[in-house]
Amino acid sequence: MSESDVSILPDPTSQPALSARQWYLRGLWAGITSVQGIVLFASYIGFGGLCADSGVPLGAAAFSTFLIAALPSQLLLVGGYTSGTAALVIALAVLLSAARLLPSVVTLLPLLRGRGRFWVQLFASHFVAVTVWVESQRLLPSLAREARLPFYFGLVTLFNMSCVIATVLGFFLSGQLPRALAIGLTFLTPISFLLALTRNSRDLVDYLSLALGLVLAPVFVEFGGRLDILWTGLVGGAAAWLIHRFRKMKRAT
Amino acid sequence: MAHSSLSQNEEGNMNTLIGSGLWPYLLVIFAGFLPTDIWRWLAVIFARRLDDDSELMVFVRAVATAMVAGVITRLVLFPTGDLISIPLMIRVGAVAGGFIVYFLARRSTLIGVIGGEAIMIAGAYFNVAP
Repeated sequence: MSESDVSILPDPTSQPALSARQWYLRGLWAGITSVQGIVLFASYIGFGGLCADSGVPLGAAAFSTFLIAALPSQLLLVGGYTSGTAALVIALAVLLSAARLLPSVVTLLPLLRGRGRFWVQLFASHFVAVTVWVESQRLLPSLAREARLPFYFGLVTLFNMSCVIATVLGFFLSGQLPRALAIGLTFLTPISFLLALTRNSRDLVDYLSLALGLVLAPVFVEFGGRLDILWTGLVGGAAAWLIHRFRKMKRAT
Repeated sequence: MAHSSLSQNEEGNMNTLIGSGLWPYLLVIFAGFLPTDIWRWLAVIFARRLDDDSELMVFVRAVATAMVAGVITRLVLFPTGDLISIPLMIRVGAVAGGFIVYFLARRSTLIGVIGGEAIMIAGAYFNVAP
């Protein structure tokens, strides 16, 4: 993207006309100062610690953060790896859990559209996960159209890099810390995820599927065999959806 | 707990079985990266035809949420690492405490995490012999 491209269109808002490079840098800076980014960083420290605890090699842990950039998928991967689950079953669990990314990307794309060509959009979509989605929804709408894509790439560059650093940091910290702090590190993943899921819940169906998933998991750990997480998701999610449908129908009559 | 010892045995088997270095990386690509990114790509390809509020999307979101919630429960109730040494009451208490702090702090994720962590670290400090 050359600088002249950006200045072709008049700025719809009163923002200063910056080059794409400058918007990229602003995106980087927005990532550094983001509170959600700090929570994400902490979660990946926890993930690094979990990997060290679970016998995942450091390189694979960092590689997974760099390449997957979606903590739920990575958790399922490590969980499956530790319990010796067949690769195909892990892939299936990851596939089901990552389905949540589809609506996220779909709702984010209109913000990034405009000048983005297909391949650029495909590349941009690779970085979408919960935190990126939340922060993009917060930051992008107020920006001029031409500013959004470079700003977004700055933001996700920062998030991706800092997550890899956090993974490596967490991995090394897990062997070095006093015992109480090491335990706190392991606890980071479940607590931060639970609160992030709670915060992202909008409707009754979100709260229901969260609560049912939490409550049903021990049942399926007991009776679901190797596929316990799949069963928890399918049964809990379907039940939450049915209750949501039932209420909607009752309201309509 | 029968569960944790079982998974630890299997971990040992798995590590000796796979031993060599490439397996975890292949797993990351084929069982992690591809099944994750396929949804991101599909979203770009079909973006215009999908409605975020359609019932199919609501259902997909519900299943995905319940599944991640299940992973959270498993990490707390049937942990694999250091967390095993912490009594169940403290683990559940730290989760509940973090939750309460989160709502008291007007839904601040950061403060909620710090609250839950404070309970867990204090519990671990006073419970585990150094």
